[in-house]
Amino acid sequence: MSKDEHSAYNYLRHTKKFPNVWCSGCGIGIVMSALIRAIDRIGLAKDDVAVISGIGCTGRMPVYLDFNTMHTTHGRALAFATGLKFARPELKVIVIMGDGDALAIGGNHFIHAARRNIGLTAIVVNNSIYGMTGGQHSPTTPLGSRAATAPYGNIEPPFPVCELAAAAGAAYVARSTVYHAVELDRYIEQAIRKNGFSLVEAVSYCHTTFGRMNKLGPAVEMMRRLKENSVTKAAAEKLAPSERPDVIVRGVFRDEDRPEYTALYDEVVRRAQGAAGASVRSAGGAG
Amino acid sequence: MPAITEARPAAHKGPRGRVVIFGTWCKGCGLCVEFCPTGVLALDQDSHPIVVAPEKCTACHWCDTHCPDLAIVVQPLEVAR
Ligand SMILES: Cc1ncc(C[n+]2csc(CCOP(=O)(O)OP(=O)(O)O)c2C)c(N)n1
Ligand code: SF4
Ligand code: SF4
Ligand code: SF4
Repeated sequence: MSKDEHSAYNYLRHTKKFPNVWCSGCGIGIVMSALIRAIDRIGLAKDDVAVISGIGCTGRMPVYLDFNTMHTTHGRALAFATGLKFARPELKVIVIMGDGDALAIGGNHFIHAARRNIGLTAIVVNNSIYGMTGGQHSPTTPLGSRAATAPYGNIEPPFPVCELAAAAGAAYVARSTVYHAVELDRYIEQAIRKNGFSLVEAVSYCHTTFGRMNKLGPAVEMMRRLKENSVTKAAAEKLAPSERPDVIVRGVFRDEDRPEYTALYDEVVRRAQGAAGASVRSAGGAG
Repeated sequence: MPAITEARPAAHKGPRGRVVIFGTWCKGCGLCVEFCPTGVLALDQDSHPIVVAPEKCTACHWCDTHCPDLAIVVQPLEVAR
């Protein structure tokens, strides 16, 4: 493949890392190409973007991307990203996490990043399971579904990812699916442009673990289900409440402007320096 | 991306694309084959996608926005009349 042939080529570590490690047909690669299209449309220079991940199949994504990248530890991607944003607030920092990474081990970082409204873009690839480690149930596994750690069916209700982020204080919150890849890249673009904590939930699938344990078929079947089982926010409002839990609702659920955390922090630094300067001056005057 | 000019039957209207598949990156998942709205692609005996009806490609870009391996690309094609 050459630069003239594929518009994503320029953003990939194409000579070293391909083909990628993901199972044939896995939706994570679709999220990666949506992210590339969003960055390309905004026209960001590669050096002005940092992509941070934790551990998991989703966490492999920065390995393939030719930006500033950090592949950190399981659950701590947002913590590393927070540090980076403080040190280099001019960077567009994008954090890519699986549902386990973001909401199980990393759940605390997730709610506090949203509460502070720090200027990061979080993308949660929600495949309802721990893919990399063999299909243990995650905080987004649907009730009743089977997992390696729930062989008789999951008894824990799942987190609604977008609602959780919005309740915690995120400035921008949207959900789409890997079937709706064009809508997904539009939401990712809006999220990156937002000055504040922005979250995009990219609903995907893991046919290798979740699909096999729940007899949902290969990637093409799981993809078809995303098409058939999802509705826009407007269409969802017309559904009876009893029908709603069974569908994936796509749309932008929050888009607000609130003061961004690192900007507020800079303000505190200036105030403290002003106060320190004044006390030095008054100390000097008294002497 | 430069457009390629290619002679096509006069009956063809609107945008058209030429499909290029990168065999070394493709894993044969079949998503492009299954969801192409006009049946441009098919899987061969080894589960690799092949272009069977190039003239039917409308350049809708479903395949190249959804390929998880970035292994397929649709180049815009100008039809010579
Ligand atoms: C501290 C720590 N605990 C546990 C693990 C093992 N581990 C690796 S990936 C993973 C979960 C992966 O699931 P998810 O985050 O949903 O991502 P996916 O693989 O589904 O994309 C776990 C538990 C680890 N690497 N580090
Ligand atoms: S195990 Fe599941 S999530 Fe991981 S690459 Fe395979 S299909 Fe994707
Ligand atoms: S979608 Fe991509 S990887 Fe899958 S069969 Fe088509 S070209 Fe190959
Ligand atoms: S661009 Fe559309 S019509 Fe052409 S091969 Fe791809 S999916 Fe089929």
